[in-house]
Amino acid sequence: MAKIHEITVWTRGVIMDKEGRDIASAFGDAVAMEGKHVQVFDNYEDLPDRVLVTTRKYVRISDEEIEHKYVYTNDHPDVVVVAEPTIVKGINVLKGLKEGGLLIINTNRPIDYMLQFIPNADELGAIATVDADGISGVRTIDFSGSEGGVDAVGVGAGIAAPIVGAMARVTGMAKKENLAKIVKDVAGMERGYNEVKLQKFRKFKSSLGSLQG
Amino acid sequence: MSKKLPEFGTINVPHERAVPFGAVTPAPVHVQELFMTSNWRIVRPVIDNEKCTRCLTCYIACPDSCWSYNEEEDVMEWNAGFCKGCQICIKQCPSDALTAVPELDFPDGVVRLEKPF
Ligand code: SF4
Ligand code: SF4
Repeated sequence: MAKIHEITVWTRGVIMDKEGRDIASAFGDAVAMEGKHVQVFDNYEDLPDRVLVTTRKYVRISDEEIEHKYVYTNDHPDVVVVAEPTIVKGINVLKGLKEGGLLIINTNRPIDYMLQFIPNADELGAIATVDADGISGVRTIDFSGSEGGVDAVGVGAGIAAPIVGAMARVTGMAKKENLAKIVKDVAGMERGYNEVKLQKFRKFKSSLGSLQG
Repeated sequence: MSKKLPEFGTINVPHERAVPFGAVTPAPVHVQELFMTSNWRIVRPVIDNEKCTRCLTCYIACPDSCWSYNEEEDVMEWNAGFCKGCQICIKQCPSDALTAVPELDFPDGVVRLEKPF
């Protein structure tokens, strides 16, 4: 079976659930536009209907058809995306991370400051930060029961846009031009692409092609 | 310390500890790490003891009973392990004694879990 790249997105229930879903589905859609095989799963195992609770979304990418369809979680992610930075303090987001994997955090704090909250940071190959809150200035908040998932809101109108831009830049897995056809806030996505900060560690192994930033 | 639970939240209640449905049980005597909600917080309530009048509104308002009154020292005490950062106490405090401060401003105070629940 062809190599499958796994991306796990961490977000918080209700207040940012849609943002997490947008990150996973917009990024997955952009990769699929290059003819790759993609699976995106939402909310499996976690409690997305509770405010603030940590929840995960999953993306899988492969050059060939992904044959397993019945396991919805990523056991060994290559990339972990954290949409709300406090999550790294309260949960081992690197659990199962592939050796030399990549962590992307939405924060305006310096990378060195964030590392104090990640006791197992030595498992990382690289860490990237993007100030998506600062760029988009919004966080979808919707208690209507639809968790912000109404059609009128569109995909990638909030913090998801800069985050997927940053993901495209550092992983090289998706093209900015394709993301621009998917997200609503194209300017925010481009700022995320341009403003992401990356720190590589010696251990870094590029399972993802070339990392840039 | 709580005893180690099987993974994936499955709890096998031993027969001698089982109670009829709807029974009233004593207050918990162990802390279950698995159910600690400190990692839900983005902000935490920080108290200004000068402004606090010990009115106990926060004690009543907190859905998770995270505020208690320490009679000996005459201060309110906050339970960092279970506060989920909902900010209800901050909104309800009549004396403006509670402020929301980003959790990431503090090096510790959150119980780090291996998986969400
Ligand atoms: S509600 Fe405010 S003033 Fe009253 S006890 Fe709590 S912190 Fe103090
Ligand atoms: S923020 Fe919410 S959970 Fe925390 S002490 Fe205040 S009322 Fe309780």
